[in-house]
Amino acid sequence: MTNRSDAAIISQVLDGDVEAYGALVARYRERYARFAVHMLGERDDAEEALQDAFVRAYRALGQCADPARFDAWLFRILANRCRTAGARRTRRARTFVRDEVALGEASADHPAERQEWQEEIQRALARLEPDQREAFLLKHVEDLSYEEMAALTGAGVSALKMRVKRACERLRALLGEAQHV
Amino acid sequence: MSNDERDELIDRVADELRAPVTLDAGFHARVMAEVRRPAGRWQAAAQWWTEPRLRVSPLVGLACAAGLAALALLGARALERPLPRIEAAGESALATEPGTQVVQFVLVAPSAASVSLVGDFNDWDPSRTPLRSAATGVWSVNVPLHPGQHQYAFVVDGKDWRPDPAAPNAITDDFGSPNSVITVGGKSS
Repeated sequence: MTNRSDAAIISQVLDGDVEAYGALVARYRERYARFAVHMLGERDDAEEALQDAFVRAYRALGQCADPARFDAWLFRILANRCRTAGARRTRRARTFVRDEVALGEASADHPAERQEWQEEIQRALARLEPDQREAFLLKHVEDLSYEEMAALTGAGVSALKMRVKRACERLRALLGEAQHV
Repeated sequence: MSNDERDELIDRVADELRAPVTLDAGFHARVMAEVRRPAGRWQAAAQWWTEPRLRVSPLVGLACAAGLAALALLGARALERPLPRIEAAGESALATEPGTQVVQFVLVAPSAASVSLVGDFNDWDPSRTPLRSAATGVWSVNVPLHPGQHQYAFVVDGKDWRPDPAAPNAITDDFGSPNSVITVGGKSS
């Protein structure tokens, strides 16, 4: 993988080297796939949203005001794509599926308990309101600050804090129930 | 259960969710194949927002501003029109699904040769929802929409993307350009 900065790669792409964009795709695809999968629950939808985000970012690369912060810009596009995809999905039957690859890896070094725990988490996550799920993932999984979350989502810091708080309360309730069944 | 134990629960959840996610083996190739494809219409539209389009001298700019002000005065009456009008589903044959409501979009554009509507409901495709000009310069179209919040814009003469001047709400899209926002059914997403 290249060690060149995002800004250097973007400059190369804007100079006409389309293939150079592959370095950015390779750099961020797994990192942001995690967010998309947890936001949408469905792997195919997540890959579609992520692909769409990469392509839209490429098409609008000249509009990336701060190439050194390409990652944040791409994340904002992806978050928007996930919201659009999520809204579309609410009109269909919602079917959250397991991440078979991750579960397979997990069960290789842990017993079935862990697989069950992962499934409980996915189910609980799926039952959160989308804005609460997004806020929880950004804060506790992606480790963004509230200021970064505000820049990314367009929501205010106090609203985001409330979403995270409610998401945590809901997860505690749902997972607490699951552990006592 | 103590608060500490509850925090531990959230930490355990976060730890699980931080595990890497493996993408389909063909993902990278699919993205790059899409990137290599020639630009579509929406890319041209995105570029329209960012590329310098017209450079004028300050004098010409003043003249244009005066002209626009005069046009605004002349057109003020024509622009006194309702916001996008929402009808109940049963009022139109266009509404085919439960909960769907028909929204009338109107744009006053006397000099336009064509106007179309783009939005998240038609994949931002200018060819899918053309407006008709019933009166001189008044373009309209009825569109069935699902309940929720929708973003949209008008495309004038195939290349001029405009937010709805009558819509009270606008939102900046992925590329930093304003789109209008309409909420159907009193819900927002």
